[in-house]
Amino acid sequence: MGVATVSTLIHSLDVDVELAERHRCGDTQAFNEVYARFEEMVYNLAFRLSGNYEEAADLTQEIFLRVYRHLGSFGGRSTLKTWIFRIAINHCRDRLSRWRPLTQPLGDDPGEGEVTYADPSRGPEELAVAADEGRRVAEGLARLPSAFREAVVLRDIEGLSYEEIAEVLGVRIGTVRSRIARGRDQLRALLEIRS
Amino acid sequence: MKRHLSTEQLSSFVDAEIGHAEMRELELHLEACPYCRSRLSSMRRLVVEIRQMERATPPRDLAYQVKAQVVAHGEVRTLERRVRDFFRSLVFDPSVRAATAMGLGTVMVAGFLLWQSVPPVPPPHHGANVLKVSTTFGETPLGLPETTSEVAGREFVWSGDRWVQKGLEWRQPDARVMLASPEGQAMISRHADLMLLLTDGSRVVMRYRLGTVELSKG
Repeated sequence: MGVATVSTLIHSLDVDVELAERHRCGDTQAFNEVYARFEEMVYNLAFRLSGNYEEAADLTQEIFLRVYRHLGSFGGRSTLKTWIFRIAINHCRDRLSRWRPLTQPLGDDPGEGEVTYADPSRGPEELAVAADEGRRVAEGLARLPSAFREAVVLRDIEGLSYEEIAEVLGVRIGTVRSRIARGRDQLRALLEIRS
Repeated sequence: MKRHLSTEQLSSFVDAEIGHAEMRELELHLEACPYCRSRLSSMRRLVVEIRQMERATPPRDLAYQVKAQVVAHGEVRTLERRVRDFFRSLVFDPSVRAATAMGLGTVMVAGFLLWQSVPPVPPPHHGANVLKVSTTFGETPLGLPETTSEVAGREFVWSGDRWVQKGLEWRQPDARVMLASPEGQAMISRHADLMLLLTDGSRVVMRYRLGTVELSKG
Protein backbone atom coordinates (compact mmCIF):
# COMPACT_ATOMS: atom_id res chain seq x y z
CA MET A 1 0.00 0.00 0.00
CA GLY A 2 1.51 3.30 -1.09
CA VAL A 3 2.01 6.36 1.12
CA ALA A 4 -0.81 8.24 -0.64
CA THR A 5 -3.18 5.30 -0.23
CA VAL A 6 -2.35 4.98 3.46
CA SER A 7 -2.94 8.68 4.09
CA THR A 8 -6.22 8.52 2.12
CA LEU A 9 -7.31 5.56 4.22
CA ILE A 10 -6.41 7.35 7.46
CA HIS A 11 -8.32 10.43 6.32
CA SER A 12 -11.31 8.27 5.39
CA LEU A 13 -11.19 6.54 8.78
CA ASP A 14 -11.08 9.93 10.52
CA VAL A 15 -14.15 11.05 8.60
CA ASP A 16 -15.93 7.77 9.45
CA VAL A 17 -15.13 8.02 13.16
CA GLU A 18 -16.20 11.66 13.20
CA LEU A 19 -19.54 10.68 11.63
CA ALA A 20 -20.06 8.05 14.32
CA GLU A 21 -19.14 10.55 17.03
CA ARG A 22 -21.59 13.09 15.66
CA HIS A 23 -24.29 10.43 15.59
CA ARG A 24 -23.50 9.54 19.21
CA CYS A 25 -23.92 13.18 20.13
CA GLY A 26 -27.36 13.29 18.54
CA ASP A 27 -26.52 15.00 15.23
CA THR A 28 -29.24 13.60 12.93
CA GLN A 29 -27.43 14.91 9.87
CA ALA A 30 -24.63 12.38 10.47
CA PHE A 31 -26.89 9.44 9.68
CA ASN A 32 -28.25 11.22 6.63
CA GLU A 33 -24.69 11.55 5.33
CA VAL A 34 -24.01 7.87 5.94
CA TYR A 35 -27.23 6.97 4.17
CA ALA A 36 -26.44 9.14 1.17
CA ARG A 37 -22.97 7.58 0.89
CA PHE A 38 -23.99 3.95 1.11
CA GLU A 39 -27.62 3.68 0.01
CA GLU A 40 -26.88 2.63 -3.56
CA MET A 41 -24.19 0.12 -2.56
CA VAL A 42 -26.35 -1.51 0.10
CA TYR A 43 -29.38 -1.65 -2.17
CA ASN A 44 -27.36 -3.25 -4.96
CA LEU A 45 -25.83 -5.79 -2.64
CA ALA A 46 -29.25 -6.67 -1.23
CA PHE A 47 -30.63 -6.92 -4.76
CA ARG A 48 -27.85 -9.22 -5.96
CA LEU A 49 -28.16 -11.45 -2.91
CA SER A 50 -31.95 -11.58 -2.78
CA GLY A 51 -32.70 -11.41 -6.49
CA ASN A 52 -35.77 -9.29 -5.98
CA TYR A 53 -36.27 -5.54 -6.11
CA GLU A 54 -38.94 -5.33 -3.44
CA GLU A 55 -37.05 -7.58 -1.12
CA ALA A 56 -33.91 -5.54 -1.74
CA ALA A 57 -35.80 -2.41 -0.66
CA ASP A 58 -37.04 -4.14 2.52
CA LEU A 59 -33.56 -5.46 3.28
CA THR A 60 -32.05 -2.02 2.70
CA GLN A 61 -34.49 -0.47 5.18
CA GLU A 62 -33.70 -3.08 7.81
CA ILE A 63 -29.96 -2.83 7.24
CA PHE A 64 -29.99 0.94 7.67
CA LEU A 65 -32.12 0.63 10.78
CA ARG A 66 -29.38 -1.58 12.21
CA VAL A 67 -26.74 0.86 11.04
CA TYR A 68 -28.63 3.69 12.76
CA ARG A 69 -28.89 1.77 16.02
CA HIS A 70 -25.26 0.73 16.13
CA LEU A 71 -23.47 3.60 14.39
CA GLY A 72 -22.58 5.08 17.76
CA SER A 73 -20.54 1.98 18.60
CA PHE A 74 -18.50 2.16 15.40
CA GLY A 75 -14.94 2.51 16.65
CA GLY A 76 -12.95 2.89 13.44
CA ARG A 77 -11.24 -0.51 13.56
CA SER A 78 -12.32 -0.92 9.95
CA THR A 79 -13.67 1.55 7.43
CA LEU A 80 -17.33 2.48 7.64
CA LYS A 81 -17.78 0.91 4.22
CA THR A 82 -16.63 -2.56 5.29
CA TRP A 83 -18.48 -2.18 8.61
CA ILE A 84 -21.75 -1.46 6.79
CA PHE A 85 -21.15 -4.23 4.26
CA ARG A 86 -20.59 -6.65 7.12
CA ILE A 87 -23.91 -5.66 8.69
CA ALA A 88 -25.57 -5.94 5.29
CA ILE A 89 -24.15 -9.37 4.46
CA ASN A 90 -25.02 -10.78 7.89
CA HIS A 91 -28.52 -9.38 7.73
CA CYS A 92 -29.13 -10.70 4.22
CA ARG A 93 -27.84 -14.14 5.22
CA ASP A 94 -30.04 -14.16 8.30
CA ARG A 95 -33.19 -12.96 6.53
CA LEU A 96 -32.77 -14.95 3.35
CA SER A 97 -31.85 -18.19 5.07
CA ARG A 98 -35.03 -18.26 7.12
CA TRP A 99 -37.26 -16.67 4.56
CA ARG A 100 -36.91 -18.20 1.17
CA PRO A 101 -34.31 -19.01 -1.47
CA LEU A 102 -34.14 -17.06 -4.71
CA THR A 103 -37.46 -17.55 -6.41
CA GLN A 104 -37.45 -14.85 -9.03
CA PRO A 105 -34.76 -14.70 -11.69
CA LEU A 106 -32.72 -11.56 -11.48
CA GLY A 107 -33.50 -8.92 -14.04
CA ASP A 108 -37.23 -9.67 -14.34
CA ASP A 109 -39.74 -6.98 -13.61
CA PRO A 110 -37.74 -4.24 -12.05
CA GLY A 111 -40.84 -3.02 -10.23
CA GLU A 112 -40.25 0.25 -8.49
CA GLY A 113 -36.50 0.01 -8.75
CA GLU A 114 -34.91 1.55 -11.76
CA VAL A 115 -32.19 0.00 -13.85
CA THR A 116 -29.18 1.88 -15.07
CA TYR A 117 -26.63 0.57 -17.52
CA ALA A 118 -22.92 0.79 -17.28
CA ASP A 119 -22.70 3.00 -20.37
CA PRO A 120 -25.85 4.99 -21.02
CA SER A 121 -24.40 6.48 -24.20
CA ARG A 122 -24.95 3.19 -26.10
CA GLY A 123 -27.78 2.94 -28.60
CA PRO A 124 -31.08 1.08 -28.02
CA GLU A 125 -30.00 -2.11 -29.83
CA GLU A 126 -26.72 -2.25 -28.03
CA LEU A 127 -28.53 -1.60 -24.75
CA ALA A 128 -30.96 -4.41 -25.48
CA VAL A 129 -28.09 -6.83 -26.17
CA ALA A 130 -26.29 -5.65 -23.05
CA ALA A 131 -29.47 -6.07 -21.01
CA ASP A 132 -29.86 -9.59 -22.37
CA GLU A 133 -26.25 -10.45 -21.55
CA GLY A 134 -26.66 -8.86 -18.17
CA ARG A 135 -29.75 -10.94 -17.51
CA ARG A 136 -27.88 -14.13 -18.41
CA VAL A 137 -25.02 -13.28 -16.09
CA ALA A 138 -27.41 -12.27 -13.32
CA GLU A 139 -29.31 -15.54 -13.62
CA GLY A 140 -26.04 -17.47 -13.54
CA LEU A 141 -24.93 -15.50 -10.50
CA ALA A 142 -28.19 -16.29 -8.74
CA ARG A 143 -27.48 -20.01 -9.19
CA LEU A 144 -24.10 -19.91 -7.48
CA PRO A 145 -23.75 -21.19 -3.93
CA SER A 146 -24.24 -18.21 -1.63
CA ALA A 147 -20.64 -18.18 -0.33
CA PHE A 148 -19.30 -17.88 -3.90
CA ARG A 149 -22.00 -15.42 -4.93
CA GLU A 150 -21.19 -13.13 -1.98
CA ALA A 151 -17.50 -13.12 -2.84
CA VAL A 152 -18.04 -12.48 -6.57
CA VAL A 153 -20.62 -9.75 -5.93
CA LEU A 154 -18.37 -7.97 -3.44
CA ARG A 155 -15.41 -8.17 -5.81
CA ASP A 156 -16.83 -7.69 -9.30
CA ILE A 157 -19.92 -5.62 -8.63
CA GLU A 158 -19.01 -3.64 -5.54
CA GLY A 159 -15.31 -3.47 -6.33
CA LEU A 160 -13.95 -4.33 -2.88
CA SER A 161 -10.35 -5.48 -2.52
CA TYR A 162 -9.58 -9.00 -1.31
CA GLU A 163 -8.56 -7.57 2.05
CA GLU A 164 -11.85 -5.69 2.42
CA ILE A 165 -13.84 -8.77 1.40
CA ALA A 166 -11.98 -10.83 4.00
CA GLU A 167 -12.96 -8.25 6.62
CA VAL A 168 -16.59 -8.15 5.51
CA LEU A 169 -17.00 -11.92 5.41
CA GLY A 170 -14.82 -12.57 8.43
CA VAL A 171 -12.59 -15.06 6.61
CA ARG A 172 -8.94 -15.18 5.58
CA ILE A 173 -7.68 -13.69 2.32
CA GLY A 174 -6.83 -17.18 1.05
CA THR A 175 -10.47 -18.16 1.46
CA VAL A 176 -11.58 -15.03 -0.38
CA ARG A 177 -9.18 -15.81 -3.23
CA SER A 178 -10.50 -19.34 -3.48
CA ARG A 179 -14.19 -18.36 -3.30
CA ILE A 180 -13.85 -15.71 -6.00
CA ALA A 181 -11.96 -18.08 -8.31
CA ARG A 182 -14.38 -20.94 -7.80
CA GLY A 183 -17.38 -18.65 -8.13
CA ARG A 184 -16.11 -17.24 -11.40
CA ASP A 185 -15.26 -20.69 -12.67
CA GLN A 186 -18.73 -22.05 -11.88
CA LEU A 187 -20.36 -18.98 -13.36
CA ARG A 188 -18.37 -19.34 -16.57
CA ALA A 189 -19.39 -22.99 -16.81
CA LEU A 190 -23.06 -22.09 -16.23
CA LEU A 191 -22.99 -19.42 -18.93
CA GLU A 192 -21.32 -21.76 -21.42
CA ILE A 193 -23.98 -24.40 -20.83
CA ARG A 194 -26.74 -21.88 -21.33
CA SER A 195 -25.26 -20.40 -24.49
CA MET B 1 6.58 -23.07 -14.42
CA LYS B 2 5.68 -26.17 -16.39
CA ARG B 3 2.24 -26.96 -14.99
CA HIS B 4 -0.80 -24.99 -16.19
CA LEU B 5 -2.01 -22.20 -13.99
CA SER B 6 -4.75 -22.93 -11.47
CA THR B 7 -8.10 -21.13 -11.66
CA GLU B 8 -7.18 -19.39 -8.44
CA GLN B 9 -3.94 -18.09 -9.92
CA LEU B 10 -5.72 -16.85 -13.05
CA SER B 11 -8.45 -15.18 -11.00
CA SER B 12 -5.95 -13.44 -8.71
CA PHE B 13 -3.90 -12.44 -11.76
CA VAL B 14 -6.96 -10.76 -13.31
CA ASP B 15 -7.51 -8.84 -10.07
CA ALA B 16 -3.79 -8.06 -9.65
CA GLU B 17 -4.13 -9.40 -6.10
CA ILE B 18 -0.81 -11.23 -6.03
CA GLY B 19 2.71 -10.27 -5.14
CA HIS B 20 5.11 -8.77 -7.65
CA ALA B 21 7.30 -11.85 -7.91
CA GLU B 22 4.38 -14.20 -8.47
CA MET B 23 2.90 -11.81 -11.01
CA ARG B 24 6.15 -11.89 -12.97
CA GLU B 25 6.26 -15.69 -12.80
CA LEU B 26 2.68 -16.00 -14.09
CA GLU B 27 3.37 -13.52 -16.89
CA LEU B 28 6.32 -15.66 -18.04
CA HIS B 29 4.15 -18.75 -18.03
CA LEU B 30 1.32 -17.04 -19.91
CA GLU B 31 3.74 -15.84 -22.60
CA ALA B 32 4.72 -19.42 -23.24
CA CYS B 33 1.37 -21.22 -22.77
CA PRO B 34 -1.48 -20.63 -25.28
CA TYR B 35 -3.85 -22.83 -23.24
CA CYS B 36 -3.53 -20.68 -20.11
CA ARG B 37 -3.69 -17.50 -22.23
CA SER B 38 -7.01 -18.65 -23.60
CA ARG B 39 -8.32 -19.42 -20.10
CA LEU B 40 -7.11 -16.03 -18.92
CA SER B 41 -8.89 -14.27 -21.75
CA SER B 42 -12.08 -16.20 -21.01
CA MET B 43 -11.83 -15.24 -17.32
CA ARG B 44 -11.30 -11.58 -18.25
CA ARG B 45 -14.34 -11.59 -20.55
CA LEU B 46 -16.47 -12.98 -17.75
CA VAL B 47 -15.26 -10.36 -15.28
CA VAL B 48 -16.00 -7.60 -17.80
CA GLU B 49 -19.50 -9.02 -18.31
CA ILE B 50 -20.17 -9.10 -14.57
CA ARG B 51 -18.87 -5.57 -14.15
CA GLN B 52 -21.00 -4.29 -17.02
CA MET B 53 -24.13 -5.71 -15.49
CA GLU B 54 -26.91 -3.31 -14.78
CA ARG B 55 -26.87 -1.66 -11.38
CA ALA B 56 -30.18 -1.30 -9.65
CA THR B 57 -31.01 2.18 -8.48
CA PRO B 58 -32.96 2.36 -5.24
CA PRO B 59 -36.60 3.48 -5.55
CA ARG B 60 -37.00 7.21 -5.06
CA ASP B 61 -39.06 6.89 -1.90
CA LEU B 62 -36.69 4.44 -0.22
CA ALA B 63 -34.79 7.21 1.54
CA TYR B 64 -38.06 8.55 2.92
CA GLN B 65 -39.12 5.08 4.08
CA VAL B 66 -35.78 4.42 5.78
CA LYS B 67 -35.92 7.74 7.61
CA ALA B 68 -39.51 7.06 8.67
CA GLN B 69 -38.40 3.63 9.99
CA VAL B 70 -35.56 5.25 11.86
CA VAL B 71 -37.90 7.76 13.48
CA ALA B 72 -40.38 5.02 14.39
CA HIS B 73 -38.06 2.25 15.52
CA GLY B 74 -34.53 3.55 15.45
CA GLU B 75 -34.02 3.90 19.15
CA VAL B 76 -30.28 4.15 19.72
CA ARG B 77 -29.09 1.70 22.34
CA THR B 78 -27.99 4.00 25.12
CA LEU B 79 -26.33 2.71 28.28
CA GLU B 80 -29.63 3.04 30.13
CA ARG B 81 -31.39 1.06 27.41
CA ARG B 82 -28.70 -1.64 27.49
CA VAL B 83 -29.06 -2.02 31.25
CA ARG B 84 -32.85 -2.20 30.88
CA ASP B 85 -32.51 -4.78 28.11
CA PHE B 86 -30.14 -6.80 30.27
CA PHE B 87 -32.57 -6.98 33.17
CA ARG B 88 -35.42 -7.66 30.77
CA SER B 89 -33.44 -10.53 29.25
CA LEU B 90 -33.04 -12.01 32.74
CA VAL B 91 -36.80 -12.35 32.87
CA PHE B 92 -37.85 -12.95 29.29
CA ASP B 93 -34.95 -14.60 27.52
CA PRO B 94 -35.53 -18.37 27.90
CA SER B 95 -31.82 -19.11 27.70
CA VAL B 96 -31.05 -16.71 30.55
CA ARG B 97 -34.22 -17.25 32.56
CA ALA B 98 -33.21 -20.68 33.86
CA ALA B 99 -29.80 -19.41 34.93
CA THR B 100 -31.41 -16.38 36.58
CA ALA B 101 -33.84 -18.58 38.49
CA MET B 102 -31.01 -20.83 39.67
CA GLY B 103 -28.92 -17.84 40.70
CA LEU B 104 -31.82 -16.27 42.55
CA GLY B 105 -32.57 -19.56 44.31
CA THR B 106 -28.93 -19.93 45.36
CA VAL B 107 -28.85 -16.40 46.74
CA MET B 108 -32.07 -16.99 48.71
CA VAL B 109 -30.83 -20.27 50.20
CA ALA B 110 -27.47 -18.71 51.07
CA GLY B 111 -29.25 -15.74 52.64
CA PHE B 112 -31.49 -18.02 54.71
CA LEU B 113 -28.53 -20.11 55.95
CA LEU B 114 -26.62 -16.96 56.85
CA TRP B 115 -29.62 -15.61 58.70
CA GLN B 116 -29.92 -18.88 60.63
CA SER B 117 -26.25 -18.82 61.61
CA VAL B 118 -26.27 -15.27 62.99
CA PRO B 119 -27.14 -15.22 66.73
CA PRO B 120 -30.19 -13.13 67.60
CA VAL B 121 -29.46 -9.56 68.58
CA PRO B 122 -30.01 -9.09 72.33
CA PRO B 123 -32.49 -6.44 73.39
CA PRO B 124 -30.87 -3.08 74.04
CA HIS B 125 -29.41 -2.84 77.49
CA HIS B 126 -30.38 0.34 79.22
CA GLY B 127 -27.48 1.53 81.24
CA ALA B 128 -27.64 3.73 84.32
CA ASN B 129 -27.63 6.91 82.26
CA VAL B 130 -30.56 5.94 80.13
CA LEU B 131 -33.69 6.61 82.04
CA LYS B 132 -37.05 5.27 81.35
CA VAL B 133 -39.11 8.37 80.63
CA SER B 134 -42.45 8.35 82.24
CA THR B 135 -43.16 11.97 82.69
CA THR B 136 -46.62 13.38 82.56
CA PHE B 137 -48.18 15.97 80.40
CA GLY B 138 -50.77 17.53 82.63
CA GLU B 139 -52.79 14.58 83.77
CA THR B 140 -52.04 12.52 80.72
CA PRO B 141 -49.00 10.26 80.63
CA LEU B 142 -46.97 11.12 77.61
CA GLY B 143 -46.28 7.53 76.74
CA LEU B 144 -42.85 8.34 75.37
CA PRO B 145 -40.64 5.45 74.38
CA GLU B 146 -38.17 4.10 76.89
CA THR B 147 -35.60 6.52 75.64
CA THR B 148 -36.36 9.84 74.13
CA SER B 149 -34.26 9.19 71.10
CA GLU B 150 -37.05 10.19 68.85
CA VAL B 151 -37.14 13.73 70.16
CA ALA B 152 -35.59 16.13 67.69
CA GLY B 153 -33.97 13.13 66.08
CA ARG B 154 -31.67 12.76 69.06
CA GLU B 155 -31.40 10.59 72.15
CA PHE B 156 -31.66 12.40 75.47
CA VAL B 157 -30.82 11.22 78.97
CA TRP B 158 -32.05 12.62 82.27
CA SER B 159 -29.19 14.00 84.31
CA GLY B 160 -31.11 14.85 87.50
CA ASP B 161 -32.17 18.37 86.65
CA ARG B 162 -32.30 18.52 82.90
CA TRP B 163 -32.48 16.50 79.69
CA VAL B 164 -29.08 16.21 78.06
CA GLN B 165 -28.44 15.00 74.56
CA LYS B 166 -26.54 11.74 74.78
CA GLY B 167 -22.84 12.37 74.42
CA LEU B 168 -23.00 15.88 75.87
CA GLU B 169 -23.34 14.80 79.52
CA TRP B 170 -20.08 16.41 80.60
CA ARG B 171 -20.24 19.47 78.40
CA GLN B 172 -21.04 22.90 79.69
CA PRO B 173 -23.51 24.72 77.40
CA ASP B 174 -21.97 27.30 75.12
CA ALA B 175 -25.19 29.31 75.17
CA ARG B 176 -28.45 29.51 77.08
CA VAL B 177 -31.55 30.14 75.06
CA MET B 178 -34.98 31.11 76.32
CA LEU B 179 -37.89 29.48 74.62
CA ALA B 180 -39.57 32.85 74.04
CA SER B 181 -36.50 34.32 72.31
CA PRO B 182 -36.22 34.29 68.51
CA GLU B 183 -33.51 31.63 68.73
CA GLY B 184 -35.71 29.54 71.03
CA GLN B 185 -38.64 29.88 68.64
CA ALA B 186 -36.39 28.96 65.74
CA MET B 187 -35.29 25.78 67.56
CA ILE B 188 -38.88 24.85 68.35
CA SER B 189 -40.10 25.54 64.85
CA ARG B 190 -37.39 23.21 63.61
CA HIS B 191 -37.82 20.54 66.30
CA ALA B 192 -41.39 20.92 67.55
CA ASP B 193 -41.23 17.73 69.61
CA LEU B 194 -38.73 19.36 71.99
CA MET B 195 -41.82 20.75 73.71
CA LEU B 196 -42.42 17.27 75.10
CA LEU B 197 -39.33 17.71 77.22
CA LEU B 198 -39.79 21.38 77.98
CA THR B 199 -43.44 21.33 79.05
CA ASP B 200 -42.83 20.41 82.69
CA GLY B 201 -40.24 23.17 83.02
CA SER B 202 -37.23 20.94 82.39
CA ARG B 203 -34.24 22.33 80.60
CA VAL B 204 -32.84 20.68 77.51
CA VAL B 205 -29.19 20.61 76.55
CA MET B 206 -28.54 19.73 72.99
CA ARG B 207 -26.24 20.21 70.04
CA TYR B 208 -27.50 23.05 67.89
CA ARG B 209 -25.67 24.85 65.10
CA LEU B 210 -22.24 23.52 65.99
CA GLY B 211 -22.60 24.52 69.62
CA THR B 212 -24.02 23.13 72.87
CA VAL B 213 -27.16 25.02 73.74
CA GLU B 214 -29.33 24.91 76.85
CA LEU B 215 -32.97 25.62 76.09
CA SER B 216 -35.46 26.45 78.81
CA LYS B 217 -38.93 27.91 79.15
CA GLY B 218 -37.94 30.75 81.38
